[in-house]
Amino acid sequence: MNGEEVFTELPWFYTGLAAYMLATLLAVYGVVRARSGPAGAAVTRTYESAVLLLITAGVLLLTISLAVRWLRIGHGPFVNLFELLISQLFSLGLVYAIAYWRLPVIRPTAVVVMPVLLLMGAWVLMIEPVDSAYPPTYYNKWLWAHVGFGKFFLAFCLVGAGLAGIILMRGIQRLAPFFRSLPPDKVLDHLAWRFMILALIFDSLMLIAGAVWAQDAWGRYWAWDALETSSFLNWLFIGAALHARLTYRIPIRVGALAIIGIFVFAFFTYFGTPFVSEAAHKGVI
Amino acid sequence: MRKCLRFLASTKFTLLGMGLLAVGAALSYDNPVDTPVWVLVVPMAILAVNLLAAIVSNARINRRGGLLVFHISLLGIVILAAIGRLTHMVAHIEMVDGDTFAIEELQNVRRGPWHSGELEKVIFIQGPYTVDYAPGMVRGPTRSQVLVPDGQGGWERRVVGDDKPLILEGYRFYTTFNKGFAAVLTWMPDGAMPVTGTVHMPSYPLFDFRQTNRWTPPDGDEIRFWLQLETGLTPDEAWTLDPRQAEGTLVVKVGEHRVELAPGEAVRLPGGALRYERLSSWMGYKLFYDPTLQWLFIVAVVGVLGLSAHFWNKYATHPWPQASSALDKELEVANAGGGKSL
Repeated sequence: MNGEEVFTELPWFYTGLAAYMLATLLAVYGVVRARSGPAGAAVTRTYESAVLLLITAGVLLLTISLAVRWLRIGHGPFVNLFELLISQLFSLGLVYAIAYWRLPVIRPTAVVVMPVLLLMGAWVLMIEPVDSAYPPTYYNKWLWAHVGFGKFFLAFCLVGAGLAGIILMRGIQRLAPFFRSLPPDKVLDHLAWRFMILALIFDSLMLIAGAVWAQDAWGRYWAWDALETSSFLNWLFIGAALHARLTYRIPIRVGALAIIGIFVFAFFTYFGTPFVSEAAHKGVI
Repeated sequence: MRKCLRFLASTKFTLLGMGLLAVGAALSYDNPVDTPVWVLVVPMAILAVNLLAAIVSNARINRRGGLLVFHISLLGIVILAAIGRLTHMVAHIEMVDGDTFAIEELQNVRRGPWHSGELEKVIFIQGPYTVDYAPGMVRGPTRSQVLVPDGQGGWERRVVGDDKPLILEGYRFYTTFNKGFAAVLTWMPDGAMPVTGTVHMPSYPLFDFRQTNRWTPPDGDEIRFWLQLETGLTPDEAWTLDPRQAEGTLVVKVGEHRVELAPGEAVRLPGGALRYERLSSWMGYKLFYDPTLQWLFIVAVVGVLGLSAHFWNKYATHPWPQASSALDKELEVANAGGGKSL
């Protein structure tokens, strides 16, 4: 860390992360209480409100953190891993909070989703919050569309993975009672694939916007660079999984594993691939 | 025949095509030039045949408007991408300040066998450029001035750079990180007419300390050049590369003979005299041509809209479950006194 620099965004980030952590603990506690019959069910509902409140608070605090950094360094969180992770913590939290609020049926997925966000938060803690230089090609307005669609894509994948996680956990005898209040696996499976279809739509939009941006920025709309290839494979995997479901009788748990696999691949597309290469799109910044 | 069509339209065939395309994409990763094009062409062809057969024969697709639009658009994208590869052109060119675009100056030209653009109609004159650098030599915006015909016998000044290409006759000229200085020289051979040309130095500031090049005049000895530049470069501070503000002394070496030339000075060399006219600059452009670009965009967007409309309608008739029915039942029991009060 540069001794002269003051990273004023960090306190907001730490508090936002703390809110996410409390939400995680409450979500887990709520699911544990749900095991204990009707009273537990009522407690669960109470805790769900608190979980929603804490996730919302976390999103607001991360919004402030991003805004403070933006004002300090003069550009949005688009360049280095520190910025990308905080930005994703914000957007994943926001989309999940909306889904959590509007679809009460998915609320127990918080025990899968929130730990993923906490993992990302822990990763941020291990990264130096160094300021980044904004590449000239990033001034293009299509960057916003590309990044925005990508955020929805990953968020819908995350919700799908949350539901898939519940399905898989219910397959373990000792964990099944914690999720007994949820609808049958078939309903969860159906719901999870709905989110994966939403992910496919936003993945498609992300690829289109990214291609337009790449054409403007680097004079080619597609060049099979690391990130482009990974993103395309992601799109292909979702498409193939949907077609496989139409073709074969895929057991629900196998489908759930496929969703988790797609999410993991998408996660590494975002947070692995760009940083294996020199920059978000290797060699072209 | 019908059995064959059914197989071609089947989702099993789709999965085969997708699997092969995934392999092709993985093989093309980061190395598209050295990878055989067939690893992508074969799966794309399989998927195109599969899409066509499915669109024609699969009622689950062709009776659902949105899904039909999506699959037609996928087929359209494959066809347009193929046309794009057959008609495309990619090249590079280094344009010296004041020079007019000339096709023969193009380098690394790659074009599809059906390329039939009207490159000969492209006319523009390169002007000066500036490039901003943030502290630490981080490249910022590039502003390259060009003159293009205004259609009324005059010239129109345009500023291009980074994500704003110069587009003429469908050809897109993108500025690149590759730019630098050039020495404008006049070679005055003994008993022959003088010739003026430029010697391009390596990219600047990337090769700040290697501003060298060499040239051999007709019937003369090889001349080595070294350009000593004063550009105001300050690596730790913000700086703007503006070749108009730069000064350059040209070191000329022939064998052991070495002389430093300021602009306007000349030196006598074996076979003639060489005059260093002035310091100039060059901008490296990437040229890109693909007549399918706009269509690809439109077809892709229409496809996603079709897919979205399909699922919008489907979800409208099968609403999202709003709550866990089991949990709600338990709560009803609890509220009715069947459970512990909170």
